[in-house]
Amino acid sequence: MKIALIGQPNSGKSTIFNSVAGYKSITSNLPGTTVNYTESRVRLNGDIYDLVDFPGTYSLSSTNEAEAEVSKYLLTAKFDLIINVIDASQLGRSLPLTLELLELKIPVILALNMADEATRKGISIDPEKLARILGVRVQSTVASKNLGIRDLFILVKQVIENGFESHLIHCQRDVEEVILEMEGFIRDKFSEAISHPSRFIAIKLLEDDDYYRSLLIHQNGTALSEKIEELQKKLVELRGKPQDSVMFLERYAMAMDIYQQTVRLGVPRHDWREKLDDLLMHRLGGYFILVLALLAFFYGVFHIGALLEGFLLTGFAGLEGLLSSYIQPGSFTFQLLKSILWGISGGLAIVLPYLVPFLIGLNLLEDIGYLSRVAFLMDALMHKIGLHGTAIIPAVLGYGCNVPAVMATRILPSRRDKIIAAVIASMVPCSARSIVILGLVAFYLGPLWAFAIYLLNIVIVSVSGKVLSLLLPEVTPGMILEIPPYRWPALRVIGHKTWFRIKEFVVVAWPILIAGSILLGLLEYFELDRWINTGLSPLTGLLGLPAVVGTTLIFGVLRKELALVMLTQALGTTEILTVLTQQQILTFTIFITFYIPCVATMAVLSRELNRHIMLSIIFFSLLLACSLAFVVNQLGYLVF
Amino acid sequence: MKSLLEIPAHTTVKIISVSGGKGSRRILAQLGMGIGSMIKIKRNAPFAGPLLIENHGASVAIGRGVAAKIMVEEI
Repeated sequence: MKIALIGQPNSGKSTIFNSVAGYKSITSNLPGTTVNYTESRVRLNGDIYDLVDFPGTYSLSSTNEAEAEVSKYLLTAKFDLIINVIDASQLGRSLPLTLELLELKIPVILALNMADEATRKGISIDPEKLARILGVRVQSTVASKNLGIRDLFILVKQVIENGFESHLIHCQRDVEEVILEMEGFIRDKFSEAISHPSRFIAIKLLEDDDYYRSLLIHQNGTALSEKIEELQKKLVELRGKPQDSVMFLERYAMAMDIYQQTVRLGVPRHDWREKLDDLLMHRLGGYFILVLALLAFFYGVFHIGALLEGFLLTGFAGLEGLLSSYIQPGSFTFQLLKSILWGISGGLAIVLPYLVPFLIGLNLLEDIGYLSRVAFLMDALMHKIGLHGTAIIPAVLGYGCNVPAVMATRILPSRRDKIIAAVIASMVPCSARSIVILGLVAFYLGPLWAFAIYLLNIVIVSVSGKVLSLLLPEVTPGMILEIPPYRWPALRVIGHKTWFRIKEFVVVAWPILIAGSILLGLLEYFELDRWINTGLSPLTGLLGLPAVVGTTLIFGVLRKELALVMLTQALGTTEILTVLTQQQILTFTIFITFYIPCVATMAVLSRELNRHIMLSIIFFSLLLACSLAFVVNQLGYLVF
Repeated sequence: MKSLLEIPAHTTVKIISVSGGKGSRRILAQLGMGIGSMIKIKRNAPFAGPLLIENHGASVAIGRGVAAKIMVEEI
C-alpha cells in the first residue's frame, strides 16, 4: 500500500511522517527547504505501508521546481491513498490544494493538523460538515503532541479496505462548461497520450501550466494551442481577470465558500507570540536583538567547538604518538598512515566539533521561526546589494560551512538570485576559516584584529554582491515569504534534520579531505613540496611571506583549517611569532580567508550552478585575495 | 485604486489587480492573496523594508518591489 503525505509548507506533514516513520525525514519552518521527498516503510496497526513525505506545496501547478516535482511524481507513481495534511488554522488557504487533489481520483483523507493552534486563534471547524461537502474522511490531529495520529491511520485502513468515493466539487456553471469543452477536446485527440484524469489535465491546460502543456504539445500541437487560446479567451470574457489567474481564482472562491460553510470564527486569544513579534521585528529593537542573538549564537558555537576540538585533538595526538611507537617514523607506511589519520582527525576533531553545534543551533532558530524574521529584517539591507531578504539565509549558513550554505540557495526563486547568493555564501568565512582567523590573528594580534577581518569580509562581500547584481541586471520577483508563527521545536525533528545535514558533510566533504590529506602526505614524502614552494615563491614573495608557507596555501584549498595545521608543520614550530611577524600573520590570514573556496565547496558550487561559474568564482576569489593581501601587507609597513 | 505601498498600517484592503508576471500572481494567490482577496496591512514603514501582511491569521512578508505591483482598494 502506497500512501502520499501532501500538504502546504509548515503544515506539519513531516512531523506526522516522523512520528510514524522514526527517522530519515526533515521538517522545516521555511517554505521550500524540504526539497527532497522521503520514503519509509511503516508498520501500523498490523499493516505495512509505504509512506512518502512530499515537499510542502501550495498547489499542483508547476510554479516552481518543487511543485512541478510533486505533481509529476504524484501522477506517475501509483498511490493508493493521499493524506492531505492541513494546518487547521489556515483552512481557507489550504483547501484549494485539497480541491486539486480530489481531481486526481485517488482516495483522500484530510488531517486537520495543529488543531490546538486553530483553537487558540478562535477558529472552530465542523469536521463532519467538511467531510460531507468534500466526500472525504477527516481527522483532527496535533502531530507535535502525537495526538490523533493513531486514529488517522485507522481511517487509512478503513478507506483502503472499503474504498471511499470523494465528490468532485464543480465550478460555477459557465466556467464548468469551458472545462468540459477542454476535457472533451483532449479526450478526442489525446486519449492514448494521457494516463492522468482528463479533467485534471484540462484544468491545468486552461491554467497555462507549462509542464502539462509540454506533455501534449508535441502531437497535434497547433490544434491544442488554438483550442487553449480560444477557451482562455472565453474565461477572460466570463470573469474579466488575467487568463492565467481565472482558474486559480475560481478554485480559491470555491475554497472560501467551503471555508465559510464549515468554520465558525471566535475571538482569538492574544498571547505572548504577538508581543514577541512586536519586539523581535521592531524597526530598531529588532536589529539590536538580531545582533545580540547572532553574537550569542557564534560565541556559543565557538565555545563548544573549541572545547570539543581541544579534547579530540589531544586524543588524536595520542594516537599519532602510538603510531610512531609501532612504525618507523619517516618510513613510507608511517607517512601514509599518518596522512589517513590526519584526514580523519581533520573531519572529526576540527570540523565536526563546530559543525554539529552550529547546525543544531541553526535548526533551532529555523524551527522556532526566527530565521524567516531575520529575512524580514534584512530585506532592506539586502536590497542595497541587489538581493532580497530571503538571500540572508544562505549567507548566515555560510558562517558554519559553505557547503550547506550553497545548497540552501535552492530556496531562492530566480537563477540570478541563486548565483549571487551562492557567490556570497562561498565568500563568508566558514567555521574552518574562522579557526585560522581565531587561531592566528586573534591569538597573536588580539581579538580586535580578528573582529576587523570579519568586518572587512562583510564589506567585501557586500561590494561583490553589488557588483554582481549590476552585472546581472535582471528584475527579480522580490520577496514573498510566509512568516510562520513561533512554534516550540520538536527535538526529534531537530535531531533528524541535523543528522541529515551532517550526513551531507560526511558523504560529500570528508572523503575529499581524507584523499587530499593522503595526496599531500605523499608529496611531502617524495619531497615534492619543495617544488611547490619554489613554484609559488613569486606569489609568496609578492605578499612578503616566507617561501615555506607555499604548500600550506595548497593544503588550504583542500581544507581551510589545514592551512593553520600545516603552517606549524611547515615552519617547524608552534611558536609562530618567532618565525613570522605580526604583519605576515595578518597578510597570510587575509589571503586564506578570501582565496579559493575549499574543494568541497567547489564541488557543490559546480553541482548547484555549473562548472563555468565555479571556475570564475575560483579565478576572481584568487584575484581578490592577492590584491587584498598585497594591500594589507603594504599597509602593514606603516602600522607595525 | 492605490498600490499597496501607499496604504498605511492597520488598514484592510481588497486586492484589485496584480501586475507583473504570472509567477508572482500565482505565488500571491497561493498564499491567499489573489485578486479579490481582503488583506490587512500589519506593518508598512516607508523606506524601511518589506510590508507585513495578515490574511486569515497568517503573516506574509512582501518586498516593496512586489507591493508596488499590487493595486488595492480601501474598504
